[in-house]
Amino acid sequence: MKYILFLLLFITLFTSCQTDNLDGDYVAGSDYLNINNKVILIDTLTVNVSTINFDSLVTSNQSRILIGNYTDPILGKVKSESYFKLTPTSYNLGSTSSDTETINYVFDSIAVILRYDRYYYGDTTKIQTINVHQLTQKVKPNVEDENFYNNSSLTYGSKSIGTKSFYPKPIGKDSVNIQIDPVFENNLFEKLKNYEITNADEFDDYFKGIVIKPSTDNSSNVIGYTTNSVLRLYYKQTNTDSDSKNSLIKDFTIADLTKQFNNISLDRTGTIIQNLPDSRNKLASELTNNSSFIQSGTGLACRIDFPYLNQLKYIAEKGIIVDAELVIKPIKNSATTLFPIKDSLQVYECDNLNRISKILTNSDGSQMLGLLNNTPDEFNENIGYKINIGSFLYQEIRKTSGSRSSLILTFPNITKGVNRIVLGDQKNLENKLKLKIYYISY
Amino acid sequence: MKNKIWFILFFTGQSLYLFSQSVATSPYSVYGLGSLYESDFGSIPSIGSSGIALPSTSFINNKNPASLAYIGKNSFFFDIGMKGMQTSYSSQTSNEKRNNFQFSHIAIGFPINSKSGVSASLKPYSSATYLISNYEIPISNSNESYYLDAASYGGVNSFDLSYGYKVQKKITLGLTTSFYFGTINDNKDFTIANSITNINKKSFYNGVRFTLGNQIKIDSTFNIGLTLKTPTKLSASKTQSVSTVNQTGTQNVETAVDSDVTDYYLPLEFGVGFSKAFKKNISLTFDYEKSLWNGTNQTHIYGEFKNQDKFALGLSYFKKEHSIYFSDRIHYFTGINYDTGFLSINNKNVNNLAFSLGVGIPVDNTKSLLNITYSYGQKGSIGNDLIKENYHKIGINLSLEGIWFVKRKYD
Repeated sequence: MKYILFLLLFITLFTSCQTDNLDGDYVAGSDYLNINNKVILIDTLTVNVSTINFDSLVTSNQSRILIGNYTDPILGKVKSESYFKLTPTSYNLGSTSSDTETINYVFDSIAVILRYDRYYYGDTTKIQTINVHQLTQKVKPNVEDENFYNNSSLTYGSKSIGTKSFYPKPIGKDSVNIQIDPVFENNLFEKLKNYEITNADEFDDYFKGIVIKPSTDNSSNVIGYTTNSVLRLYYKQTNTDSDSKNSLIKDFTIADLTKQFNNISLDRTGTIIQNLPDSRNKLASELTNNSSFIQSGTGLACRIDFPYLNQLKYIAEKGIIVDAELVIKPIKNSATTLFPIKDSLQVYECDNLNRISKILTNSDGSQMLGLLNNTPDEFNENIGYKINIGSFLYQEIRKTSGSRSSLILTFPNITKGVNRIVLGDQKNLENKLKLKIYYISY
Repeated sequence: MKNKIWFILFFTGQSLYLFSQSVATSPYSVYGLGSLYESDFGSIPSIGSSGIALPSTSFINNKNPASLAYIGKNSFFFDIGMKGMQTSYSSQTSNEKRNNFQFSHIAIGFPINSKSGVSASLKPYSSATYLISNYEIPISNSNESYYLDAASYGGVNSFDLSYGYKVQKKITLGLTTSFYFGTINDNKDFTIANSITNINKKSFYNGVRFTLGNQIKIDSTFNIGLTLKTPTKLSASKTQSVSTVNQTGTQNVETAVDSDVTDYYLPLEFGVGFSKAFKKNISLTFDYEKSLWNGTNQTHIYGEFKNQDKFALGLSYFKKEHSIYFSDRIHYFTGINYDTGFLSINNKNVNNLAFSLGVGIPVDNTKSLLNITYSYGQKGSIGNDLIKENYHKIGINLSLEGIWFVKRKYD
């Protein structure tokens, strides 16, 4: 029995003794570690930067009416006009189609009410003039296509049916009111009143939609409006007993968002990017003052290539890129209060013909954005977009077949605005692009 | 009887489980197989690990298989041990302290006849456990650095079968066959910028080695022992897995890919020991061992293998072996051990000097002892980028002599 007691004592000792928790800093002996793994930081890899031009951005169904024009000091004349179809909820003026009161309605006025969606670009202290034209072509995409693009357009009547010059107040006010030529619109009223238009087809034939264009006389800003904007018909009931002659309204709305699009164009004649090639080619940054350009809406984007990435294969027999950070900087003074930059960049992977194959993502699947670090320092050297391309380069260098991929940088919501930015390349003296690649051999 | 067998089975299971978690944490474990591990049986740790010349009359002497010829014909020995260690590591710049406990060995030994005996044991040969965390390493040609967390665990164990035979009345010979086996798991995490790369290596070792032993009784008080360990190769195989994770994705670079690893060579070793008894209750032991690591022709990135000399001196005392007073039967031990080490870093040997004190508490009227050893030692030295380890070690060995199930006699 004594043995058993001793053995029990032993077991208790064994199981109660715990070796130290080995967390925390513990570096004794680290000098002797046999680290065969080489960790290398490569910051000299050549990065080619260029500007490309997407020729067709889908601008329909984006929930924004974008109207205006401004002259960008670097890129040229930007113009956006918006096309859309307007429909009423019913094809009668009264509450029902057999409303006996209809006969007593009289036309008052008609106006387009554009509601600000708070987006603006350019100088909003300057006057903007916009014109409304009636479309002579139905708002219908080409055959076998569901979309309209930034370069799509429809025919419209040369005569403006409404015009307005105003100082945009996209933050201070809610809407802009454009009075429409009553002569024209009274006809619409009469046709509804007289039951000449009773269904959608008849309405479409008569009223195909409108385009709102900025006048070229003024050129200073681009303003965004919501697709809750309406064409509003004001009319009255004449036979009421009361003095308050009933004021009535009828709204024509953008019921189908796919029937609204913005035509956004850039006239770059005489600018540094005058010779921008077609959408499958690129304009090297060396030809444009060591800089590259992004402009939403018009389709300018920055493309980044890593032509000598394969050289890294010769560092070690077995090695991988574990992380990489690309910092690309806006050209100082190109971003101003009138032309502010956005705080993030969207990153796409594309082939040699600028065809996007995917959006770069974070490990959780969310879209990876290049974030602007704008903590100012003495030399403003830290201002730049940080883009994590570790996984992208890892995949690229391990590709055994297929052609190299490149990256394309744009602003998020590229189809909804006209923000632009000028970015420096590797040879740009003041706003140098930097790439740091972390590599380990194993 | 049945209960006891179950009990031993259970206990052995427990021990094997603990075996797998032995931890050394010595920085010197980052080399090769790790730190070599002294696990001696019975009271040997108390007498400075000396005992090549001692017979296995009261416990299993693991130092020399020739001693097994002296196991008493009705004895059955069971030996089990554990160690607890508190170590402080100091370098020129820092000081760190670690505790750890580990299983040391489990062994049985019994006679075959009046002329021979056998033993079987399981013990660690080396421990590769170490841990280094948050170690900042500069990236060359930049002002950035990365962090390394490195951990290694496992080691090589040996399962020994020993046989001792009495050639003449005063001369015994012995042979131990040691089967080495073990896995060393080496895990490194490199935190580079915003990424973590994990490189995991598993090395598997196995090999066989023989130890020849001889003991000669010069007279009733003076014994000489000799041992010779053959050089051997521990064959190694290794697999490696690499994965990396950063903000934008996780990549499994390779999984359990076979990779090259150099085999490990154990050197030719020989030892000579003396034991002298005075007045029947005092005895003095002295061992000298030499390990010819130079001959293994192994190289290491940071250190060199050097021939190793070990000196061990021990003294034991008890008042009376057979006394009605318990206190008279308590054994007292002391010893000293010096070892030049087999590793030289920057031309400085990682040597080890330890002093030990111990008591052997009789368990009953057999030769069973509960040995408790305290030792204090120093390994390495400060300076020249070396690390000095100061350690306090408590060892407990339970050496049981049973006469339970070896009732049968072999002739």
